[in-house]
Amino acid sequence: MENLAIRTEQLSKKYDLAMAKHRHDTLRDQLMESLMSVFRGKNKRPGNQNETSFWALRDISFEIGQGEIVGIIGHNGAGKSTLLKILSRITEPTLGRGEIFGRVGSLLEVGTGFHPELTGRENIFLNGAIIGMKREEIRRCFDTIVDFAEIDKFIDLPVKRYSSGMYVRLAFAVSAHLKPEILLVDEVLSVGDLQFQRKCMAYAEELRNSGATILFVSHNMFSIKAICKRVIWLAHGEIRADGPPDEVIPLYEKVSRYSSDRRAGAAAMGGTSEMPIHITDVQIFDESGTPRAIFEYGERMRVRVCYTAIKEIRNPNFVVALIRSDNVACCNYSTATDGFPVPSLHGDGVVEVLTPPLKIVSESYTISAFVWDKDFQQKYGSLDGPNFHIRHHLYNTHFGVFHEKGEWFVPREIADNQVSIAKEV
Amino acid sequence: MELAAGNAVKKPSIIIQPRKGLFQLDLRSVWNHRELLFFLVWRDVKVRYKQTAIGALWAILQPMVTMVLFTVIFSKFAKIPSDGIPYPVFAYAALLPWIYFSQALTQSANSLVGSSSLVTKVYFPRLLIPLAASVSPMVDLLFSFMVLLILMAWYDIAPTWGLLALPLFLGLAITTALAVGLWSSALNVRYRDVGHTIPFLSQVWMYASPVAYPVSMVPEQWRLLYSLNPMAGVIEGFRWALLGKKSPDFIVMAVSAAVVLLLLFGGIVYFKRMEQTFADVI
Repeated sequence: MENLAIRTEQLSKKYDLAMAKHRHDTLRDQLMESLMSVFRGKNKRPGNQNETSFWALRDISFEIGQGEIVGIIGHNGAGKSTLLKILSRITEPTLGRGEIFGRVGSLLEVGTGFHPELTGRENIFLNGAIIGMKREEIRRCFDTIVDFAEIDKFIDLPVKRYSSGMYVRLAFAVSAHLKPEILLVDEVLSVGDLQFQRKCMAYAEELRNSGATILFVSHNMFSIKAICKRVIWLAHGEIRADGPPDEVIPLYEKVSRYSSDRRAGAAAMGGTSEMPIHITDVQIFDESGTPRAIFEYGERMRVRVCYTAIKEIRNPNFVVALIRSDNVACCNYSTATDGFPVPSLHGDGVVEVLTPPLKIVSESYTISAFVWDKDFQQKYGSLDGPNFHIRHHLYNTHFGVFHEKGEWFVPREIADNQVSIAKEV
Repeated sequence: MELAAGNAVKKPSIIIQPRKGLFQLDLRSVWNHRELLFFLVWRDVKVRYKQTAIGALWAILQPMVTMVLFTVIFSKFAKIPSDGIPYPVFAYAALLPWIYFSQALTQSANSLVGSSSLVTKVYFPRLLIPLAASVSPMVDLLFSFMVLLILMAWYDIAPTWGLLALPLFLGLAITTALAVGLWSSALNVRYRDVGHTIPFLSQVWMYASPVAYPVSMVPEQWRLLYSLNPMAGVIEGFRWALLGKKSPDFIVMAVSAAVVLLLLFGGIVYFKRMEQTFADVI
């Protein structure tokens, strides 16, 4: 690659589970532990060491060029955050090597080291120094930081007197002036209110336009697709796939579906309450019956549920739920409530629901299918189905959960006495 | 040809790799971050007496009150000798480095744990944290030093040429505080017991140091063992440099200094070893 921003060679990180378990423990426990292990000494096999440690990252090698926007996806515990922590040098790798060409910034550090007793002015210098700016540099862009944060009147007030909005604006203003060449964003860990998150994204956008390299960890496939040209998929600490989002994300979603199938299956198998209905598949199509994963806002969707009923079930109630990527259940379609009574079923079968025009906002959703009894008391079977996206240029989660047009008018009795907009036009 | 140079691979600005070897201390990065050290010390100093009624007066009040107490109890009641120096000045000159040391000890032991949000979020040499904590109480010492000058004038004690050696002993005091601070702060990350031990430890340590009594009271045969306590050397040095105490115990000072250097070096090595796991364990 011509202009490298990041290169890693077999970066690996091993965590000591024993250590993590004992993290806040006391010296006494440690002594007891060592004393006990003397007595247990004979039983201890040399292989035991493998059980007390695990590799959070293993042989991670990749090259990222300048100006690339790379998304990092994977399940919880796949090593995404560990990778970012190593790249930002917060923790050290156990093995391997990484090279970074340029100044690194991360949105993790926004407001880090702010001291509530210090004034805004003092905190700008302190926070700037902590994230790696030189004093001269901070002094040079001090005025722009204050302007950006819109707090000029309060600059000499301790930040503990600030409103949370002012606090965030100030913290952000300092970080934004670090002007990193490489930005690490961990959306999973990012906290703060909506306004703050939006500010983060706008900042990332601006950096992208200025040619910075961005590494972006997210669970939200939609935002990954929207921002990244390349995706690295981590699974169990290793790189499973590395390529354009159109190739990698479907692979990832397929696997996450299977793994949740297995979980549902395992739940159904084990325990006393064996599910009498196995939902074998859930498929989604558009209105005309073509398989699809991305829908425009307002399109209708056809969801097909395939099942096997092991024994006869009376009055089953099929439910299809649309669940947003952040686990908000947005709506349910149910044979019982939608007026499609099913008297009884046995054996294999298929049922389909054609949704009304989908008015939920632009996001990533999962389909879940269930079979309940008609009063939603007893569950006969369930399966997490495929993901799909809704697309709209304006209606997103900032706008609401769904959007339905309202009817606007000026009440007639008032309209007569009012120079109304409608009449003028 | 020039082409080779033009195509030469750009040098990475940061290299990330596991630390190998015990002595890869990388003190250069601490030097590179000296501005941050300044800001951390400055923060500690600024914040210390915020929202207090009497502010920096606290820095003077503590050694003064302790001095009065010591004079009444140890000099008047217990009749402890003071090497021919008026007891109040004798005690105050020792309280200066001692109070500095106990403050630095408490602050640096809790420094890493107290800045866990920094440790888990931003990279900079972690050494700066206990370093800043052991330097910042120096400011208090400078305030209370003024009072000593007044006391010396009151008792008619003229400074001697030994005063020129004072920075040396100040340095020794900081080094001692840093050495102990490195150990305690790093240990405290793993074992929070350390935080609970410090107040007790500093009390015991005070009685093991010549704060309220002169070194000359320690029996000759125990003197060498006694001087393994680095604060013994520091305090003896302060008295000699400030008050022109006759026949200072140079052996005590030399042994103390040697112990401090050993402790410091061990502290840096241990700290650096633990540093890589701070973010994971804290």
